[in-house]
Amino acid sequence: MPLSTLANRALERDGLGPIRDKVLAGARLSDAEGLQLLEAKDLAALGALANHVREARHGQLAFYNRNVHLNPTNVCVATCKFCSFARKDDQHASEGYTMSLDEAVEKVLSKRDYGITEVHIVAGLHPTLPWDYYTSLLGRIHAAWPELTIKAFTAIEYHYWAEKFGKTYEQVLSELQAAGLRTLPGGGAEIFAPRVRRKICDDKATAEQWLEIHRTAHRLGMKSNATMLYGHIERLDERIDHMRRLRELQDETGGFQVFIPLAFHPEHNMIGKAFPKPTGYDSLRTLAVARLYLDNFDHVKAYWVSLGERLAQVALGFGVDDLDGTVLEERIYHMAGSTVPQALSERSLHDLIRAAGRVPAERDSNYHVLKVHEQPLPPAPPARLPATA
Amino acid sequence: MPKLKAAAVSFLNAWPLTAGLDASDRIELTLAEPSRCAAMLEAGEVDLALVSVAALTKGEYEIVPGLAIGADGPVQTVLLAGDQSPAIWDEVFLDTASRTSHVLAKLVLDDMGVHPEFSPLPAVEGLARATGTKGALVIGDRAFDVRKSQVLDLGREWTRMTGLPMIFALWAARPGRVSPEDVQELTRAAQHGLGIRTELAQRFAAQRGGDPERYRRYLSQRIRYGLGPHELTGLETFLARAAAKGLLPPMPLRFVDDVVRTTRTRRHVSLDTALAKGAAGERLDEVEAELLDERAPLLELGLAADARRRALHPDGVVTYIVSRNVNYTNVCTTACHFCAFYRPRGAADAYVLTRQELAGKIEETLRLGGIELLLQGGLHPDLAIEWYEDLFRWVKSNYPTINLHALSPEEIWHIARTSELPLEATIRRLVAAGLDSIPGGGAEVLDDEVRRRIAPLKCSTDEWLSVMRTAHQVGLKSTATLMFGVGEEPRHRASHLRRLRDLQDETHGFTAFICWPFQSANTRLTASDGSAHAYLRTNALARLYLDNVPHLQASWVTMGGGVAQAALHMGCDDFGQVMIEENVVSAAGTTFKMDSEEVERHIRDAGFSPSRRNMRYQRLGGAGA
Ligand code: SF4
Ligand code: SF4
Repeated sequence: MPLSTLANRALERDGLGPIRDKVLAGARLSDAEGLQLLEAKDLAALGALANHVREARHGQLAFYNRNVHLNPTNVCVATCKFCSFARKDDQHASEGYTMSLDEAVEKVLSKRDYGITEVHIVAGLHPTLPWDYYTSLLGRIHAAWPELTIKAFTAIEYHYWAEKFGKTYEQVLSELQAAGLRTLPGGGAEIFAPRVRRKICDDKATAEQWLEIHRTAHRLGMKSNATMLYGHIERLDERIDHMRRLRELQDETGGFQVFIPLAFHPEHNMIGKAFPKPTGYDSLRTLAVARLYLDNFDHVKAYWVSLGERLAQVALGFGVDDLDGTVLEERIYHMAGSTVPQALSERSLHDLIRAAGRVPAERDSNYHVLKVHEQPLPPAPPARLPATA
Repeated sequence: MPKLKAAAVSFLNAWPLTAGLDASDRIELTLAEPSRCAAMLEAGEVDLALVSVAALTKGEYEIVPGLAIGADGPVQTVLLAGDQSPAIWDEVFLDTASRTSHVLAKLVLDDMGVHPEFSPLPAVEGLARATGTKGALVIGDRAFDVRKSQVLDLGREWTRMTGLPMIFALWAARPGRVSPEDVQELTRAAQHGLGIRTELAQRFAAQRGGDPERYRRYLSQRIRYGLGPHELTGLETFLARAAAKGLLPPMPLRFVDDVVRTTRTRRHVSLDTALAKGAAGERLDEVEAELLDERAPLLELGLAADARRRALHPDGVVTYIVSRNVNYTNVCTTACHFCAFYRPRGAADAYVLTRQELAGKIEETLRLGGIELLLQGGLHPDLAIEWYEDLFRWVKSNYPTINLHALSPEEIWHIARTSELPLEATIRRLVAAGLDSIPGGGAEVLDDEVRRRIAPLKCSTDEWLSVMRTAHQVGLKSTATLMFGVGEEPRHRASHLRRLRDLQDETHGFTAFICWPFQSANTRLTASDGSAHAYLRTNALARLYLDNVPHLQASWVTMGGGVAQAALHMGCDDFGQVMIEENVVSAAGTTFKMDSEEVERHIRDAGFSPSRRNMRYQRLGGAGA
């Protein structure tokens, strides 16, 4: 399908004709071209181009999955400036907490009746929890609920444990894989550029270490996700640099499933004052440019917990094909002041997707389609709480 | 087509609902005693009847939405009367006419801790015997004549007990008999009847004697005719309490389906042609607008609207105004289904702002660099034009610089009606008192099919437009709005835009257009989720269709800053207000807030230069320019 006359006219007016030609020909964009797109002034034209790519890949489908989040501890030795989740210790006064193994496992198992297919586990860098806390956590969840896909821990955690427990990345990853780990979330990437990393998260894994851990996971046969935290002190070219490194690793391994840009949330953290939350405009253009620049990524996700339902819905027209799942528990963004509801029911997610003219498709953790919902869900049965609640 | 058969009581309070049916070619009306109305409905002799709410228990009836006879305070015609304080009553005679009033009387007395015997007795006799420890229930027009030393107004007592309106009667229908078109007819009749309340009062006085002014006040200030969210809660509370005391069987409420559906064939037009025409600034017709609304992809509409915005406002400046929304009262008798803002008079949080409160708000506004006061409120039955004139004069003499952007057409219509003045005289008097411009609120969807369904007692499309026309002719500027997402179809939105554009051709009085989606928290209508996409589309369509309206405001207050930024790239050239307060929308759950720094950051970030403006969209120097 060709691009519309209106889109063509607008792109040419803004000097984006050559980039459009490359995109339509399936050619790869250079860093300079990526930057030119990020700096483009015409949001609708940029969106139209990104939407073109999105529809060529996925048609009208909009993916989501059903997952539960588990954050077993918020105690963290690192001091990332943007983080409003971490606490220094688990004393009550500082709102720090660490779940016992039983508690953490039970939290996941209690969600059995919700039709969930994935558990998403991330935590702080806890100074004293032993290695077998983590292996047991995954092992017990996996044993009790083998169909549930375990997506767990960021590269930051893997790196920290490798150092702390004297293991190689491969050992850390394969031991957890043996316990039940199936895929890695994309957190901790922030912005790869050392200038930025030094300022906002000096004491955690470097870009190279982050990438090496994902490379290792891919080699071990696990897929992973990639994120980018934007809208704080980074420059636009540093966003492109970040995406370039991801694109390169993807060329090498093909192990990334989805790219998830995350808008920086300023409340309750150390750089909030000087850096207000990126505007929705910034989010839309970032998502659209990601879709155009990351030609070897299948999916681009809008994380509605952070963007809000309205903007996430609009993003479906700006290159996004995936909305985060019907999340059952989420602490990180809510501690940063997000006012978006904690969980979206499958029905409201469908409504949101349908109202944007797209077709909801439930997927599993590896982006296999479980069900395409061509037809609206039947009317809601009267509200009833699960018997086990 | 055979006419629908209806029955109604002949009490004065029913006249505003029934008078307009005299000439109806859809509905044939019979007048009867209350108990006879209920019996005819039960026996199937009529399809619908204006019955007391207790009669709902007699069958699986459907309620006609939006209309009722109720009160949110003293009702005057449902009374308990006697010589001595009700506290010592040991027997109460119940008028044989109405079960609802019996139940209400029992609930009220029970609440007071009084538990007399109840004996049925016709009112005349009961009243005669209501001395000493005896009381009597009197309802209907004869209650106007009650002269007793102890009178308990059951409307007032109910509202005092619950803070809610009391619903006495409503249109109940046998299932499946009443069509959406019939509902429209009943609503039209009510609109007509409510408009001639003074005349009805005079007619009534001529028939049975008494002071016409007293009857007029009864019809316009005592009785409420809407059935909105609060009224429904009042009704449900009444039924639930009655059921809990075993006075009525429990009963679910069912409503007549009131959505008009049509199937039509439409002239064929191509989407591309319509888009190209729109982008080039050629005038679109209604069929093209409908097609674009239904089928054009979001970004195509957006790109076309952006091309129009660039043509109309090529310098990339996005304006905004610093102003304050003040809602002078939340009391309203119109009871629109979608409204989470209004309160019945008796509600604990019902208010009319005092001068002192208003002064505080205005001074704060001026301190924060505000230049405009957006003054709107509910349709308070007790406020006549003098009240508004005094208020405006007071504002202008104390704060001469502030722009008074006040009173939506609905309110002006209401003031004219309450004060029995012609529209033009009303507007001229308000202007003389200080009114500078008027907001375009209350338009909702300017198509009576939709309007009557969501806001049965609001003024009609023609009436709304006639207020705007008159205001423009008198020299006022105004904005125009659309609240979509209330179950209307593309053809209704297209007709809304057409009506606005036609009037604009005539008067050129609209400065800007603003649309927003209906927000549903706390109201009876349910919204379709995912309003942002629809918002951007509707907004872009408006930019294309309304070729004669200069400005389009992005609605960040309802949609959030990010979606509003996207709207700047799809047709808008204005970022609305930096607002200090907004109740009508926030009562339904929206909580976006920005100060002028945030507004300017959003404008700049989206690639535009911010400039403050006044209500006439003249750019102001200084801050932000
Ligand atoms: S972002 Fe992660 S590593 Fe950094 S402080 Fe927060 S929890 Fe710790
Ligand atoms: S929308 Fe306006 S007229 Fe309708 S009930 Fe609310 S305040 Fe009254």
